[in-house]
Amino acid sequence: MIRVLSTNIVSPLGTDTEQNYLAVKAGKSALRPISGWQGLPESITASVFSPEQSEALKVEGYTRFESLAIRSVADALAKAGIEVRGSNTVFILSTTKADVEELSSDQNTDGDYHSPAACAARIAAHFGISTRPIVSCNACISGVAAQILADRLLSCGYYDYAVVCGADCTSAFTAAGFLSFKSLSPLPCRPFDIERLGLNLGEAAATIVFAREQQDSPTEGWRLVRGSMDNDAYHLSAPIPSGEGARKVLERALGDFDRSRLAFISAHGTATMFNDQMESVAIRDAGLSQLPLSALKGWYGHTLGASGVLESIIGMKSVEDGTVLPVRGFCEIGVSGKVNISSELRSTKARAFVKMISGFGGCNASALYSLEPCGDEAKAGGAEAEAAGFELDCSHSVRLTDSSLCIDGKEFEVEARGKELLTEIYRKHIGDYPKFYKMDLLGRLVFLASELLIKQEGETPEASGRAVVLFNHSSSIVADRSHLATIEDRDRFYPSPSVFLYTLPNIVTGEIAIRHGYKAETSLYILEDRDPGLMAQVIRSSFAKSQIRDMVCGWADCSEADCFEADLKIIHKKQ
Amino acid sequence: MNNMEELIVGLKEQIIDALNLEEITPEDIDNEAPLFGEGLGLDSIDALELIVILDKFYGIKLANPAEGKAIFKNINTIADYIAKNRTK
Repeated sequence: MIRVLSTNIVSPLGTDTEQNYLAVKAGKSALRPISGWQGLPESITASVFSPEQSEALKVEGYTRFESLAIRSVADALAKAGIEVRGSNTVFILSTTKADVEELSSDQNTDGDYHSPAACAARIAAHFGISTRPIVSCNACISGVAAQILADRLLSCGYYDYAVVCGADCTSAFTAAGFLSFKSLSPLPCRPFDIERLGLNLGEAAATIVFAREQQDSPTEGWRLVRGSMDNDAYHLSAPIPSGEGARKVLERALGDFDRSRLAFISAHGTATMFNDQMESVAIRDAGLSQLPLSALKGWYGHTLGASGVLESIIGMKSVEDGTVLPVRGFCEIGVSGKVNISSELRSTKARAFVKMISGFGGCNASALYSLEPCGDEAKAGGAEAEAAGFELDCSHSVRLTDSSLCIDGKEFEVEARGKELLTEIYRKHIGDYPKFYKMDLLGRLVFLASELLIKQEGETPEASGRAVVLFNHSSSIVADRSHLATIEDRDRFYPSPSVFLYTLPNIVTGEIAIRHGYKAETSLYILEDRDPGLMAQVIRSSFAKSQIRDMVCGWADCSEADCFEADLKIIHKKQ
Repeated sequence: MNNMEELIVGLKEQIIDALNLEEITPEDIDNEAPLFGEGLGLDSIDALELIVILDKFYGIKLANPAEGKAIFKNINTIADYIAKNRTK
């Protein structure tokens, strides 16, 4: 459990939380039809900044994406009134594609592009935050995943404060990808409605400054009580129809919290056919059909890396205001699970809410927020003691690079190099999983390293409670350039869904989950470099603050077509 | 080879390439065998990839993926649809 010190939202609806909430409450939306966005040959409906707004947000020396994030963090930090210069604050950036609109398919013609890790470092440095930043890059759940990470790191005593900033810009890159998935609605989106046609994209940044819970912390104010993540282990781009992953994280986030104290459930509600249907079933099966449902995509569109943060903040504001916001765009129910949904504004006296969110790669997350003290969960320092109270053990390890293979410390002779080496290893050691050829380079690398690793265990290990936690530096840069190559020429605009999929680097964690039926947490974090201390903080705090029994974890980076390295381990708590 | 046979061979090559069916040759794909579920065991992402093929090589825009269900039944049904609707 961590305390919320301050929040900010910068969106086309306003530049602070208050302006945004008031605009939403007044029924304003920035969704509008736009054509020719960044050269896109098809028109889309999206929530984007006007040229004047973009100009006003610009921070000298920074890209559009970085400027947006900096504006949001600056306002949140000013309101938090804390000193962040020093080692007591961690900066966590939640984003799917960061600066990608500056990227080109040829590395020699990149504009002002900075990698997600570099963006995070530049933003953190702008505020004098001297610790190493972490990027939560977990597709649509990134924003909630980032907050869960903040809870873990603060609760375990590694830092006193966490600045969690979720941000994404609407780029031709992302829009083309969603067009290839046929998941964009040409009209303003209609979450949970019978006539919903898909999602709209939106751009925004949202920031929450969190503080570690301490014995003398004030009792009033918002808390993130707890959060949880799980993978469906079902499909890379479609949620499991039973909604069991979403239901489980919802139930775990709620724990024994009295359901009657909840004001509403803040759903993901993307307005795609599959997402909303799945969520309705998860909500019903969690016994929450009576709880009012809120969904915000009708105002903001899907703001991707920002959405989990932004929607949590609007949730807090509406509870403070005693209001359950209507679902904009909703008229008639179009899902099979019973949900309590309204197109009218309603009032509430309850002082807590729960957020749910799901995304590509099969990931689900949920988090509980309360404005009232929560009783016994509040033992400050509990997890700190817990994090120190166990040892971690590594049972097996695999290191696979573009020119070498080492399993449990033993070097294996390899002939091929680069990409060819991966094919050689697949043919020699695996051979029975043709999906291998559908994966991008990072996917193949991680798949092979994890296969060889898991084989070392001999008997099939227990799948439940096994997490997949990966770190890298280059995000999905190779896939990013491949995707760009399919859309840069307006006359040859053929974005491919299977190429776009791998521009979400967490997809590779989903590959492992699907292959082995691992239904626990899957996470991908991007770091400036391979920092063992920082990775250890994430891993230890993840063990301390979740149900994870053991994990496949480690470094997996692919910076160019023939330059890659995976160094994976199986780690478990020592008995 | 008549036009239809030519179309089918080209189509199979395009499918193998776009769907990364690495260890499969055009001869391995039966014109009548179902493409989804059994047979090649394609899934929903592959179906979207087939839509890209129709657009890219034959100038056919399929706005609604639901239409794909009948068209993408097997190689013959796709070739048939292409022959009737192609714009390039």
